[in-house]
Amino acid sequence: METSRDDFVIALRSAFLKKGTQQRFSLLSLIFFSIIFLILGSFNFKIISYVKIGINEIVYRSSFIVSVPENLLKGSYLTIQNHKELYKENKKNITELNYLRGKDLSQNINKLENIKYKKLIDDYFIGENETVAKVLIDKQSPFLRSIIINKGSKNNIKLGMVVLDEGYLIGKIVEVNFFTSRVLLISDINSKIPVSLQPGDIQAIMSGKDKQEGVLQYVRGKNLPEINEEIQVLTSGAGGLFKSGIPIGEIDVDEGLEIDEDKVVNFHRDFSQLKYVKVVSFSKEKNILDLSSKNNSETLNEEIKEKNQQQETLRILIEQKKIADEIRVKIQKENNFLRNERIRLKKESKFLTNESVRLKNEILITKKNNKKNKIEDDEIEFLKKNLYHGHKCRKNFINNLYKVGTLEYRKCVLKKDLKK
Amino acid sequence: MNKISQNNIIQNIQKYTPIILLFISVLNEFDFNNLGLIYFSFNFSYILIFYYSLKKSESLGYVYIFIAGLFNDVIVGTPIGISSLMYLILCGAAAYLRNITLRPSLIKDSIFFLITILIINSLLFMSLNFVFNYELNYFDQIINITYTFLLYFLFANLFNFLERNILGNRHAG
Repeated sequence: METSRDDFVIALRSAFLKKGTQQRFSLLSLIFFSIIFLILGSFNFKIISYVKIGINEIVYRSSFIVSVPENLLKGSYLTIQNHKELYKENKKNITELNYLRGKDLSQNINKLENIKYKKLIDDYFIGENETVAKVLIDKQSPFLRSIIINKGSKNNIKLGMVVLDEGYLIGKIVEVNFFTSRVLLISDINSKIPVSLQPGDIQAIMSGKDKQEGVLQYVRGKNLPEINEEIQVLTSGAGGLFKSGIPIGEIDVDEGLEIDEDKVVNFHRDFSQLKYVKVVSFSKEKNILDLSSKNNSETLNEEIKEKNQQQETLRILIEQKKIADEIRVKIQKENNFLRNERIRLKKESKFLTNESVRLKNEILITKKNNKKNKIEDDEIEFLKKNLYHGHKCRKNFINNLYKVGTLEYRKCVLKKDLKK
Repeated sequence: MNKISQNNIIQNIQKYTPIILLFISVLNEFDFNNLGLIYFSFNFSYILIFYYSLKKSESLGYVYIFIAGLFNDVIVGTPIGISSLMYLILCGAAAYLRNITLRPSLIKDSIFFLITILIINSLLFMSLNFVFNYELNYFDQIINITYTFLLYFLFANLFNFLERNILGNRHAG
């Protein structure tokens, strides 16, 4: 007991007190140091704070250096991830681009066709005079909603010209001065604009109602088409006041399909935020058959023709594919039917073979039976005749006929008539 | 002359590898104690200090361990001196085991290591929780101790391999 306790103490002493080679402090002294650090640190002792600050400085710098390889690895990993993401995105973008290109082509065709048809009905307008103007404040207006712009008759501004903000209709010129003009906004109650609702092609007159809203008038018994999209409101071009197809606003279909006073048109532009506007006048395209316009028209026609040809080729290819698919499906169906028929016929032939074998056997049995019956009939006939005429053929001591049981006797009996 | 200086460099690297490893593990941003995994954390410094104090006490100086503890406290944000204390207690336990062991075996070492880290973590938990009012998750501590103990086998073998084959110490383990 004593010895083991001594061993424990010796080992402990050796562990905590003995200084190893090149060790300046014993373990115990360093443990004491730590405890002193802890105690002084808990009392916020100044020296400890300085030590802490010093260590902080060293640690933050060395931590950065030590973490360089790891950060490099992390960075590389993130870069690879990013590249992977980019690759995926690129693939997606390519698909989307192809789809959009197709859509763009179709849109271009529509546009060109539209121009062509508009020209046919003499309704193709082109922007003739475009002037960009700055919006000035309007204070003494007889209208509720109007603005003053800094361009007037000096800049070729004329009454009735269309005022646009980024392509959206916002009003028309109602007063022209030398340096300024007044624009009546479409949100004004006096503004009456012939509009067309698309899709549905409903014609109406739109009047201003509120700062950002308009109402539809003179539409009776018409309902909006049942679509989940918003209905676009465009100028109809009726009355020749505006060019047709200028976007104005949209109608929210969530509030019901019936067109009444409550059906509001939400304008695309915020009229309280107008700063620069474009004043445009539209005129019909001059159909002067000079060489350049002729060339232009020819080019346009050729372009339309080419696009149409492309579309037609595409359509034909799609049709061909559809037909080929149909034929394939039909052949497949026929194939299946024939396969089933073959299986059925095979079964039937097997059944018929069995049946014929069975019938053959039956015939053989019947034949045998017939033969047996015939023999039996002959025998019965012989016995009957023997009963009646046997004595006429039998040999006795008077006559010298045939012995009973011989073939001659049988023949003799059978020759006799039964009736007799 | 050139060869001699080259040999010196290699010797120095061999000598200071454990210290470098200890300081890297303390200073690195990649903290094994906080990998972001819920049920996995371990204390690499404990394994390193215990192994080298036990097997090759001359390679890890007590003063370096003390300084590494101070660094760890600054990084982790615990009261300065507490990690040093724990590291030094671990060193003491390893030195005691070295003194009483005649025939070393990995199983015995690991069991002693488990008991030591249980005591150390209990001390740490008590001092941080009751004296310094730190909030510690008891469950996390248990997970940390378990994985530190389990990974001791792996790292002990790894260090053995490193000492024998790479650093060229034939008497390691």
